[in-house]
Amino acid sequence: MTTSLQGGINRMMEQIDGPIATFFSSCVHCGLCADACLFYTETQNPKYTPIHKLEPMRRLWQQEFTFWGKLMSRLGLSKPVTDAELAAWEPLVYDSCTMCGRCSLACPVGNDIVYMVRKMREGMVVSGHAPDDIKGATQRAIELGGPMGITFATLQAHIKHAEKETGLTIPVDQIGADYMMVLSSAEIADFSEIIPAVTRIFDHAKVSWTFASDGFEGTNSGMQLGSSDLAAELVGRLVKAAERLKVKYVISPECGHAYTALRWEGPNLIGRPYPFKVVHIIELLDELRAAGRLRTEGMDDTRLTFHDPCQMVRRGGVVEQPRKLLKQVASNFVEMPNPGVQNWCCGGGGGVSAIERAEPLRQVAFKRKKSQLDAINVNTIVTSCSNCRNVLQDGLEHYHMPQQVVGLTELIAEHLAEKK
Amino acid sequence: MKDHDTLEHRLTQQGISRRSFLKFCTAMASLMALPPGTAPAIAAALAQAKRPSVIWLSFQECTGCTESLTRSHSPTLESLIFDMISLDYHHTLQAASGFAAEKSREDAMKDFYGKYLLLVDGSIPTKDNGIYSTIAGRTNLDLLQEAAKGAAAIVAVGSCAAFGGLPMAKPNPTGAAPVSDLIKDKPIINISGCPPIPSVITGVLAHYLTFGELPALDELGRPKAFYGETIHDRCYRRPFYDQGKFAKTFDDEGARNGWCLYELGCKGPTTHNACATTKWNGGAGFPIEAGHGCLGCSEPNFWDAGSFYTPLAAPTSNIGAIAGAAALAGAAAAVALSAADRAKKKSLQQTHEKLTVKDISN
Repeated sequence: MTTSLQGGINRMMEQIDGPIATFFSSCVHCGLCADACLFYTETQNPKYTPIHKLEPMRRLWQQEFTFWGKLMSRLGLSKPVTDAELAAWEPLVYDSCTMCGRCSLACPVGNDIVYMVRKMREGMVVSGHAPDDIKGATQRAIELGGPMGITFATLQAHIKHAEKETGLTIPVDQIGADYMMVLSSAEIADFSEIIPAVTRIFDHAKVSWTFASDGFEGTNSGMQLGSSDLAAELVGRLVKAAERLKVKYVISPECGHAYTALRWEGPNLIGRPYPFKVVHIIELLDELRAAGRLRTEGMDDTRLTFHDPCQMVRRGGVVEQPRKLLKQVASNFVEMPNPGVQNWCCGGGGGVSAIERAEPLRQVAFKRKKSQLDAINVNTIVTSCSNCRNVLQDGLEHYHMPQQVVGLTELIAEHLAEKK
Repeated sequence: MKDHDTLEHRLTQQGISRRSFLKFCTAMASLMALPPGTAPAIAAALAQAKRPSVIWLSFQECTGCTESLTRSHSPTLESLIFDMISLDYHHTLQAASGFAAEKSREDAMKDFYGKYLLLVDGSIPTKDNGIYSTIAGRTNLDLLQEAAKGAAAIVAVGSCAAFGGLPMAKPNPTGAAPVSDLIKDKPIINISGCPPIPSVITGVLAHYLTFGELPALDELGRPKAFYGETIHDRCYRRPFYDQGKFAKTFDDEGARNGWCLYELGCKGPTTHNACATTKWNGGAGFPIEAGHGCLGCSEPNFWDAGSFYTPLAAPTSNIGAIAGAAALAGAAAAVALSAADRAKKKSLQQTHEKLTVKDISN
C-alpha cells in the first residue's frame, strides 16, 4: 500500500470504535485536560489542549458516524478533513504528546484521551503524516532488531563483558527457564550496567532466567508511530521467542512504552492471549523482596527522589513497588510534588524524545519537571525507565542542574547482601 | 307603493311593532359589533329586504341545530325573522312530503338560481360513493353538489356541517366530511356549535339581508362577531381562574362557590363562541353557569380531543404508549443507524491493507 489522505481517513475511521464515539459525544469542552498537559502548562498555547489534538478525528467521527454529521456532510455543510490539515496536526499528535495519560486522568467525564491519540496516530501514519524520526526508528527496529540499530551481536558483547565483571554465567536461549529477560535499546546502548545488575540480582535470588537471541529488545516504536501492523510484528518476535523457550514469564525492561506494548497492547496486537505472564522488572524485584529473596545491606544516605514513569503509574498501576524497594536501600528518600499517578511526564515519552525537531519544545516542557525538582532539592533522581532517564539527563544538562539520574534496578544491585 | 313581500310588511301583519323591530336591529348591530349608527341602516335594509329563498338541506345530523333554532323562545324575533325568509325546503319543517317536497326544492333552485341561500346542517358521507346517507334515493353528496351550484352562498349550520362533527369522529366509518371540504367555489360561512346559538344563526342572516354579503370571517370561516373571543375570556368565572381558585370535583366547596372549572376539564380557554355573552334559552344561562365546563363544541375535532373532564393541560392521548412507541422507534432507528456504521467499519476492516516497513521508509 502507499500512504495517502484517503487511506489515512479510512484507517482513522476503522479505528473509531465504541469508546471513541462515547468519548467524543461525552466531551463537555471544559478544557480541564489543558491544565493536565505539560505542553500546555509550559507554553500556555491553547493549541496544545489535549482534546484539540484530536480535532480532525473528532470531525471525521461526527461526519461519518453521527446522524446530524452525516446529514450536514450530505448537504455540503461540513468541513472535510484535508491533507493540509493532517500535516498541520502532525506536530500536535506526535511532537507535543508523550501519551503520558495525565489528560485521561483529569477528564471529568472519563474520556481516555490518550487512547484516542494512540488510535489517531494509526490514521496519521497511513496518511503519510508521521515524523520521519519515528518512522526511521521503526524501520530500524523491523529490519535490524532495534530502533537504534542494535543487533544481538551488540548485546552479546555486553553479555561477555558482564560475565567477566560478575564472574557469573549469563544464560542465553535456555529452554525451560522461568523468566525471559528483555531489554530496551537505551539500556543496551547507554545504560548497559543493567546487564551485570540483573545478573547479580537473579543469581542472588536464585531466579531461573535467560536472554533470547531472537527476542531481546522490548521497545516498540511501531506503537509510538501508531501502526498496529508494525507494533504487532515487533511484539510478535518476543512472543515467538518466549514460546520457543517455553518460559513462564517475560520481564519487561525499565522502559515505559515497552511495558505498555508488551503487557497491555501485546495480546490485542497479535490477537490471542499469551501462554506466559509479563512482569515489569520492578514488579519482579518487589515480589522477590516480599518473598525475602532480595536481601540488601547498607543504606544510601544521598537525598534522592523517585521519578514515576507515566506508563508505570498511570497505565500500569505500579506505584508502591518502587517505593518499597527504595526504602530498603535509601535512608533519605523524599517525594517530589505530585508523586505517583499524578506525576508529570519527563516530556520525552511516546516517541517524542526520538523526534529531533521536537527538542526545543521538549526542553520548554521540561520546565515542569524542573519546577518539581526545584521544590525538593535532591542530589539524585531514581527512576525505572531508561527513556525517562535519557530525557531527564538531557533536561538537567540543558538547565544546568546538578542532579544525578540512576536506575532503580542498578541501585538495588549495588546494595545486594554478600553471599554467605 | 308598499311592497307586500317586504319584511316590515310581514312583521306588521304578524303584530310586531316597528319599535320592537328597531330594538331587534339595534340588538343585532351590537351583537355583531357593528357601530351603533348602523342600527337604522339595518332597519332600513331589513325593512325593505325581499324574502330571500332559502333551501335547507339536512344530512348526517341529529336535528339538534333545527331544534336550537326553532326552540328559541316564542315569540322571539329570532323565530319571526326565520318566518321572513322563504324557506322553500326543510325536511323537518316543511308540510310537503315525497315528490312534492322534492319538487319545491327543484323549483326554488331553478327560480332563484344564483340568488338563494343554501343552509346545510349535518356532515356529508363520502366513503363508498356516499351511500351511507341518501334522500329520495340520492346521496347527500350529490344533493349538496347540485344545490351548491346555484347558491349565492352556503351557510354551514352546526359543527357537523362546519367541521364534520360527531359523524367524522374516529374512526369515521362513513367518510364524513364538512361542506368546506367538498365545495370550493362558493362563499361558505361556518356557524359552528353543537348546536349553534340561535341568535348567531339569525344574526348572520340579518347581516346578509342588510348588506347583501357575508360578515367578516375568522380563519375557520366563522363570523368574527360571534367567534372572535373565547368562552374563557368572557366567562364570569374568569376572576377565579386568575386567582388560582379551582373546583376540584363537581361537589366540593370550590364548585359550590362557583370557582373556575378548568381542572374539571372546561375547554373554555380554547373555545371560540358567544355563549358567555349571548347565553342560551332567552338569556337564561350557559353551560358554565349551570356548573359544567365548556365541551368546546364549536371547535373542530372537539369530539376526539380527549375526555370532557380532563384538564386542558393534561395530555389527551395515552402519553405512556406514545412515549414507549417513540422510544421503540428511536431504538430501532438507532439500531439501523449503528448497523450501517458497523457495516462501514467492517468493510474498512476487511479492506485493511497492512502497513509495511516499506511504507515508512524514507
